[in-house]
Amino acid sequence: MERDYSNEELMAVLISREVRNGEIAASGALSMIPAAGLLLARELHAPNVEIMILGSPAFMPFKTSRQFHFLAHRGELGLFFVSGVQIDRQGNYNLHMVGEDQDHPKVRFPGGYGGGMLYYAARRSIIFRTEHSRRAFVEKVDFISAAGTSPPDTLRYGNPCKVITPLATMHMDLQEGLLKLESYNPPATVAEVVENTGFDLGDVSSVQAAPAPTEEELGLLRDAVRRKMIETDTYPDWARSHLGNLRIA
Amino acid sequence: MIQAGSVGAPYVPVLGLVGTDLLKRRDDMKICPDPFNPEVKTVVAKAYRPDFAIFHAQKADRRGNVSAGWTNDDTLLAEASRHVIVTVEEVVDELAAAEAKGSFLPSILVDTVVHAPFGAHPAGCPDYYPVDDAAMKTYARQAASDESFAAYLEETTYSVTSHEDYVARFVPAEWRGEGAGGDERDSA
Repeated sequence: MERDYSNEELMAVLISREVRNGEIAASGALSMIPAAGLLLARELHAPNVEIMILGSPAFMPFKTSRQFHFLAHRGELGLFFVSGVQIDRQGNYNLHMVGEDQDHPKVRFPGGYGGGMLYYAARRSIIFRTEHSRRAFVEKVDFISAAGTSPPDTLRYGNPCKVITPLATMHMDLQEGLLKLESYNPPATVAEVVENTGFDLGDVSSVQAAPAPTEEELGLLRDAVRRKMIETDTYPDWARSHLGNLRIA
Repeated sequence: MIQAGSVGAPYVPVLGLVGTDLLKRRDDMKICPDPFNPEVKTVVAKAYRPDFAIFHAQKADRRGNVSAGWTNDDTLLAEASRHVIVTVEEVVDELAAAEAKGSFLPSILVDTVVHAPFGAHPAGCPDYYPVDDAAMKTYARQAASDESFAAYLEETTYSVTSHEDYVARFVPAEWRGEGAGGDERDSA
């Protein structure tokens, strides 16, 4: 069985299904897939979602980044998207460095503006990662850039809720503070997901396949959303090269 | 934290950062109870009041009023710092707040303006020139090891005799046109 949609299209559809009508949702730097997912949700079940796409003036109501920053700081941001070089079982992510010795990293990354605040401020955060592998999903990250959970006596408005990859969706079990497998994306199998994840995904015996993207979802993503992204200068090159190119004639 | 410095507070409570390795490695941020509600804790970040802030902007006038584009962070930095030096692409006789693009820094916040066209190079300066991608790639390549980075610094910094010398040697010729260079100093 082959997919007739790309990994990016699949992930944008899966992300769109998580968006709630009426909430304030924002995507950050270099977050093309979440931006497409937000716009798709607005075409479907969430016509009144307030969308902010950092880096796209058409989707930024504020003149200064300070206003966005403090909107989140006040606890008014409903949904945000993050990614990481490494993600671990406890929902910690790493955008800083890879290597066993933090003073002598093998590779350094730029860190992430705001993630150390937004991951705690947004009511829900979704982790997205296009590479589902054992080097991306590790037992313990080499550097915690933001923590999945915090002690109950610290001020925090929200936590990660889902992890979305081309192979699967995980959800955060906040009771245990652990990520667990929620669904998989055929033709990937549960065994393949387990094989490519560097930590225990919990009891996977009753995990079901996620519903494949529907014709309506893919149609809107490839037409209305793609056109909107190009017209509004919202990752236009990415939209041209990643949305609608596997369409069957 | 510059935010705290800009409002004259000794420190500022901030959300997040709890449980991160960043927090472990910094002594300017601590976890503290809320004095009004001690059951709840947050990180507090120490204020920074730099002696000097130096940054590049688009335009200034002879009094030291500055138009700094949309980079609101420069305003915070200017407010927090005791002395402020701004290098600019262009110096005009008079700059009204209304004609400033983006943030306007009144001269009361600014000590010194230096006319330094291409002063942001190899980064870009919106409305004047883009990022110099080729020069950035050279930087990234040479930053990979201490030896090659030392050579990079020697070539682009230590061996440079003046700002005009830098512009002539490193800014693409087609960007320069007329009027590049110059080193006027105005005290506000």
